[in-house]
Amino acid sequence: MGKRKYFLDLNDLQYKQVRHSFEKKLLYAFLWIAGSVALTLTYYGIYQKHFESPKEYVLNQQIESLKLEYAIANLKLDESMKALTSLKLSDEVRYRPILQMDSIPWSIRNPGFGGVDRFSDLNSYMNRDLLKSTMLRIEELKNIANVQDESFNTIREKVDEWKFEMDHLPAISPVDPSFRLGDGYGFREKHPVLGFGRMHYGQDFSVPSGTKIYATGDGKVIESGWNSGGFGNHVVIDHGYGLISIYGHLSEIKVPEGINVNRGDLIGLSGSTGTSSGPHLHYQINKYGSPVKATNFFNNDITQEEFYEMIQAFGSDSMLR
Amino acid sequence: MPKSRYRFNPDSLSFDKVKLGFRAVLLRSLAYLVGSLIVAVVYYVIFAAFFDSPKEKALLREIDQLTLQYEIIHREMDNLNRVVVQLEEKDDNLYRTIFEAEPIPVTQRESGVGGINRYKDLEGYNNSNIVIETTKKLDNLKKKIVVQSKSYEELYDLARRKEEMLESIPAIMPISNKDLTRTASGFGPRVHPIYKIIKFHAGMDFTAPTGSEIYVTGNGTIEAVNSSARGLGKHIIVDHGFGYKSIYAHLDDFNVRRGQKVERGDVIGFVGNTGTSVAPHLHYEIKLNGKNIDPVNYYMNDLTAAEYDKMIEIVSKTGQSFD
Repeated sequence: MGKRKYFLDLNDLQYKQVRHSFEKKLLYAFLWIAGSVALTLTYYGIYQKHFESPKEYVLNQQIESLKLEYAIANLKLDESMKALTSLKLSDEVRYRPILQMDSIPWSIRNPGFGGVDRFSDLNSYMNRDLLKSTMLRIEELKNIANVQDESFNTIREKVDEWKFEMDHLPAISPVDPSFRLGDGYGFREKHPVLGFGRMHYGQDFSVPSGTKIYATGDGKVIESGWNSGGFGNHVVIDHGYGLISIYGHLSEIKVPEGINVNRGDLIGLSGSTGTSSGPHLHYQINKYGSPVKATNFFNNDITQEEFYEMIQAFGSDSMLR
Repeated sequence: MPKSRYRFNPDSLSFDKVKLGFRAVLLRSLAYLVGSLIVAVVYYVIFAAFFDSPKEKALLREIDQLTLQYEIIHREMDNLNRVVVQLEEKDDNLYRTIFEAEPIPVTQRESGVGGINRYKDLEGYNNSNIVIETTKKLDNLKKKIVVQSKSYEELYDLARRKEEMLESIPAIMPISNKDLTRTASGFGPRVHPIYKIIKFHAGMDFTAPTGSEIYVTGNGTIEAVNSSARGLGKHIIVDHGFGYKSIYAHLDDFNVRRGQKVERGDVIGFVGNTGTSVAPHLHYEIKLNGKNIDPVNYYMNDLTAAEYDKMIEIVSKTGQSFD
């Protein structure tokens, strides 16, 4: 290849082959590289303006799939929110009215996090809105869940109190309901034994001697034994809530003073001890020390059969208790 | 120093000045461009293998952050879910303690939407609609047969009274019961809250805060406004005519007098806790010709078919009544 190049030396008018010194070659090479790098940068600059590099493409794909994960997470958070909302509904509509509790103000249930930018450290990121909103929602849900948890704990306490009260109220008949009711609460023109008019503070049940007498509510036996005031052998149960029940004229007492009894526990057998003209049970309820109408504390809506079923259920640690 | 270049021409044995034609120039610059592009790609590949561009760096940082935050979010969500599940269990327990006397061993919960599904075996009651529809059709047929045997005069009277009848027969719920969440206990055998034995519950219980308004469910006359210490407590009996009576019990207060005429939706009283009642609630009964009937079938103006099914489901699930 006759690729050699020549030049006309004007000094001696001869054609001479073009030769470069080593330094010049080096310089050329350097210039060539520098030029090509500059060109590369130019190319890259132009390319980048219109397209993304393969690497960026891959990275962007990754970001997109992460964003998808976030979207899924947000859907899950929606579900949590729904669950919490239905719990709140239970709380506000079902439980609180029954337990006569005030509802929790909205400002406590949903305090909000306005004002302070709690996630300002995320500000420098491209997807800051996504990141911040997700974090914020979690914070919000956590808060709602916490409030709900506390609310449920309070409700649980209240339910237990409620159940406790229901169990303690003297709310059943102390004897088989098939027996006839005797004299009730009120003024008696002629006392059967004393013979003169006197206030009768209890409810009498005409029952034969030896009839089983049951505690009408949970409580503590505060008196058990002879009563010189006329009740004869008697039992007094303190039910709390200012209520005591008195069972008088018993022939036999089955519970000592100081023990706790449950509704339906056998506490004694009826008789005619004390100021009594014949076998009967004197059943009296005192509220804060004053006698009240005992018949207002139980219903006449239960058959003999049901009564014994009930007594049996109370005694058997029934599942229903 | 634009020095002319020469090339030795072996044919003529002379030096020719190197001259490039237009085509050659074009070709050369094209070759140069292609060459430079190739070089550029090579450079880029080498560069990219060792370094990241600023844009890529930003993207990588973004990915790192997104991944990190996602891990946090994931952990938080797990915690949250655990808490929500615990809350649902608490809710279940509360619900059972209050509404169902019997503890049910395993929580039957449908995952997903809403979380809670107390109304699981709703499906079993789908057919009750058909049964009711059929009964209604049968009743209609019976009526038609009766109607045909009547004189036109009687027919006219019947038609006139039909409207009155539609307005009189109980057809709405006695309290505002959006989402049916106030439905508490249904008609039929239920655990008595005090006796703890199964007793027949002759009406339906709605739980509502003390003081909630009670609406009369059909046109009629107030037959009685009673107060008693036990049993139904303060209660109202409404005579709707056509053999129908409705009873509203355990009220806190009355809003009507005996003998007063009322129209469907009138506020007749307020929810309370009087009489034999363990919590503020309304006990609602309907009597047809003196016999208690299930009120669940008398909310036709209020309930859609789906809501009716849900209602049936709720009242069949609650094991304990409130009075």
